[in-house]
Amino acid sequence: MKKIMIDPVTRLEGHGKIAIFLKDDGSVANVYFQVPELRGFEKFSEGRAAEDMPQITQRICGVCPEAHHMASTKALDDLFHVEPTSAAKKLRELLYSSFYVTDHTTHFYILAGPDFVMGPDAPPAERNILGVIAKVGLELGGAVIKTRHENHWVIQTIGGRPIHPCCGLPGGVSKAINEEEREKIEEIAKQSVEFGKLSLKVFDDIVLKNKEYLGMVLSDTFTHRTYYMGLVDENNKVNFYDGRVRVVDPDGKEFIKYAPRDYVKHLAEHVEPWTYLKFPYLKKVGWKGFIDGKDSGVYRATPLSRLNAADGMTTPLAQEEYEKMYSTLGGKPAHYTLATHWARLIELLYAAERMVELVQDPEITSTDIRTIPTAKPDEGVGIVEAPRGTLTHHYITDERGVIKKCNLIVGTTNNYAAFYMSVKKAAEHLIKPGKEITEGLLNRIEMAWRPYDLCLACATHALPGELPLEVTIYDAQGNEVKKLSQGI
Amino acid sequence: MKTLVLGIGNPILSDDGAGIRVAREVEKQLKDPQVIVAETSAAGLRLLDSIIGYDEVIIIDAIQTGEGNAGQIYRMEPKDFSFTKRFSSPHQINLVTALELGKMLNLAMPQEISIFAVEAKDITSFSEKCTPEVEQAIPKVVKMVLDELVG
Repeated sequence: MKKIMIDPVTRLEGHGKIAIFLKDDGSVANVYFQVPELRGFEKFSEGRAAEDMPQITQRICGVCPEAHHMASTKALDDLFHVEPTSAAKKLRELLYSSFYVTDHTTHFYILAGPDFVMGPDAPPAERNILGVIAKVGLELGGAVIKTRHENHWVIQTIGGRPIHPCCGLPGGVSKAINEEEREKIEEIAKQSVEFGKLSLKVFDDIVLKNKEYLGMVLSDTFTHRTYYMGLVDENNKVNFYDGRVRVVDPDGKEFIKYAPRDYVKHLAEHVEPWTYLKFPYLKKVGWKGFIDGKDSGVYRATPLSRLNAADGMTTPLAQEEYEKMYSTLGGKPAHYTLATHWARLIELLYAAERMVELVQDPEITSTDIRTIPTAKPDEGVGIVEAPRGTLTHHYITDERGVIKKCNLIVGTTNNYAAFYMSVKKAAEHLIKPGKEITEGLLNRIEMAWRPYDLCLACATHALPGELPLEVTIYDAQGNEVKKLSQGI
Repeated sequence: MKTLVLGIGNPILSDDGAGIRVAREVEKQLKDPQVIVAETSAAGLRLLDSIIGYDEVIIIDAIQTGEGNAGQIYRMEPKDFSFTKRFSSPHQINLVTALELGKMLNLAMPQEISIFAVEAKDITSFSEKCTPEVEQAIPKVVKMVLDELVG
């Protein structure tokens, strides 16, 4: 049996190891996927004060600390049985929307963009952000940096410090914003809306107007019919910060809708002998293997899943784009994994529009930002939509609020099974007997999982901030016959 | 002249916290108000955001060369990572690409960037403590950074 190793996965937030085993005739026999696991978080958190969890859990991930901070803060609301004030909720959502603008911008331009702007067959030396900017122009590059930079100022202003916010408290937030800050945030929010519109135009020009790319988006190689998960408001519209978790079946019909506390009733985890990863699935459907369809408990929680799971967007421009996307893709739900990039940009626009709505709300400068908790803590669950999927924090404490048990389902985890299926299917479709395995072909396999933007062991930052990519092909006897490597 | 001392890493992930531990200690011992000490868990573009506007930046981080001994200290410059320049990073983009991007976009990039890296042993276990080998290296790196600031 021949073995192809792709190690690590480039341009993912973390690193993983994928092994593709070939049969003697050169077709794919099987695929395995392993990631370095971070160890011991539950034990690390036991015995700590629950109020420290928003500070501690955001350190789990260097990419989306704001998501952990917010899910954790909401878990504390529930734990201490306290309802945050209306102004506090709005400030939290404003910060969170601003974070979405930065995160989705990064993904599209840094991670996804090179595949489309430079093309999947472009040499790796050009298939990166520098190549993208050289091609699309310095002006757009400047707008990417500016949008991120200014929104980081928003996060810092509301959150209390850069990168790792410290504003979240049970029952509210620690600081209000003044009129001067509000005005500046309003300006940034409006510019972010323009940037969101511009990004969708870039997508339209580069991907949708290119028949080859659109064909790729709609091809079976990058398609899976699964269940879809996302947080929705009381009208079943997309909401990143609050609401209930809605799951629709592969036909788009509501399957379940649950309040955060009930997550344990609906999700279970499957274990495979070849990886430490646990694969969450829908309990009511059951685990039937890594397969598509209504009878398989596999679900996805991605930007496209959120749009599939909802009835629409609450903001006008994003709603318009939402309708356009589904009309182009032939209706709801859309099963095309590569369309996740499109959905991500619609979410970017929604987040920016939501920022404008919130910052123009007269209550946003209110100083009534905290309800002081008085009840004894016991158990709390907090859920937000992290950019990479539904994020659940669950704490159980003693009556002093000391953590006895902590369980987290991070955004990425939801998508492990679908990620694996996407890699396998793309490999099976693209690697054929007698066909040379080129860089471009391997990059197309990577494109199958890049939309998930998995965070794998995402807290590690050891220099040089990356690991080299090595693709090794072994013959049936296990001898190395070909090696494709970059950066080594 | 504006100088930034930036500790990079994750303070709850064993040796990955080495850079932040050094930065915190440097801040305690530092007497120069012109020098800003900061810490970050960010890489790539966020790192770029952090260093814009400074003339000189000293970065401290953990490193896994795969060849050195745990606790070994390296004094490096961005060009030492140039072999990875065009290569896509798992954390968005790497340091060198971020610097090149900053130059390309005509941002106020530092004139001088030096990097102190400590060979890490464990960067996947949750702990606020480094491994003994890295723990021993921390005061040495602190002294090297302080000397660098004086020199």
